[in-house]
Amino acid sequence: MKFTYRFRRFLGRASYWLREYYVSPYRQETARSLRREEDLFMLLVYSEALGIPNPVSYYTLELQPILYESFHEWHLRMGMPKSPLEGFKCC
Amino acid sequence: MAFEDGNAQVSAGRLQVLLNKDPWRRNDPTVLGPLLERRFIFVGGKGGVGKSTTASALALAAAGRGRKCLLVSTDPAHSLGDLFGRRIGPRRRKLADTLWGLELEGDRLAEAYIDRVRDNLREVTPPSLYPEIKRQMDMARLAPGAHEAALMDALAGLMGSETEDFDLVVFDTAPSGHTLRLLSLPDIMAAWTDGMLRTREKTGKIEEAARSLGEPGGGQDKGGPVSRLGPGKTARIREILEERQRKFRRAGRLLRDPGASAFILVLTPEKLPIREGAAACEALRKAGIPVEALVVNRLLPPSVREEFFLRRREQESARLEEIEGTFTRLPRAYLPLQESDISGVKALLEAGRFLLGPIDNVRHIPCFEY
Repeated sequence: MKFTYRFRRFLGRASYWLREYYVSPYRQETARSLRREEDLFMLLVYSEALGIPNPVSYYTLELQPILYESFHEWHLRMGMPKSPLEGFKCC
Repeated sequence: MAFEDGNAQVSAGRLQVLLNKDPWRRNDPTVLGPLLERRFIFVGGKGGVGKSTTASALALAAAGRGRKCLLVSTDPAHSLGDLFGRRIGPRRRKLADTLWGLELEGDRLAEAYIDRVRDNLREVTPPSLYPEIKRQMDMARLAPGAHEAALMDALAGLMGSETEDFDLVVFDTAPSGHTLRLLSLPDIMAAWTDGMLRTREKTGKIEEAARSLGEPGGGQDKGGPVSRLGPGKTARIREILEERQRKFRRAGRLLRDPGASAFILVLTPEKLPIREGAAACEALRKAGIPVEALVVNRLLPPSVREEFFLRRREQESARLEEIEGTFTRLPRAYLPLQESDISGVKALLEAGRFLLGPIDNVRHIPCFEY
């Protein structure tokens, strides 16, 4: 009784670690590409303010409230310690 | 247009110009008349050639035929109000029995839109940042292209459900270059929103893949695979972008649909309007929007006797031949120079009768309460 319980617990842990062993590199990779896509998207939305001409910047203005919270993290990750937008200081 | 065999071939239109001293008396009623049956008419041309007059005259004529008609000016220098002798402004105003007028103002539209964004931004930011937001929004307001973008938005709106209750919408557009840009914007926009939606889609797929890989140990993720924006926001962004795309796509499609829209080019028999008109024609054709008719405005009347005007007349016939050569196959209607500027409903009706040809003169004399 006690043995089967321990054995089951062992199996459970073993399968967890095995899964982690195989899966975590992929997970990291997907996380990275997700972040890349999101960063690209942020760049598209904020491009005009950064001096990259964007014909639709007027229409993406309305996305800014939604993206506001991610903005600070984004400019840090883009290697800009201070907000790159003049007149828009989040930190 | 020089032909190999000299005088053997002279097109009917050229013959008309050569033989007929006042071609507006023989305007072909099948040139502009059928265009009034479309849903949208765009009237364009160089500044000051009589776009507003033409647009108003056509709208009034259509209204006289019982079509419920909306006349829209997108030119920042509005002249509809002057033509109809009353203030029109950014709200629909009744001008005649079945005719309404509207003057779009890019600046005002942009302002209203930016104010809306500002209010939304304030909801998600701490009050200490309000001055920053204000500064940022002021910059957006002054950004080049903001009011053009606002106009385009309004225009796309007017080509959709906003004008469902009208039979015909006549757009009195801004000078040629501006109009062209306005007409090519739907495509640029659509391409861009397409691109943005694609990155969003890709993000969605990666997110899905990430979910199937499960949460890392203990379920507590540190910068884990789940999107930082979260599913709610991602969906909202998608919704906004898709709505824009739909709107611009529909406008672009309608612009190119000859069953729905017609573009009429106005010019005067002068060098620059002809040159600019030809360039506009070509650019529109490239954009897939063919110009369907030409209105040649301000022809000198036959009654002129003075030396000065007779010389001008000579120059005019040379220009008319140039028009003939430049816009060979494009059907056209003529409008004479009037003693005084065309203004008021009566004069506009008169101009409409000229434009639509003699048949309309006899068959239909519209009568309005105004």
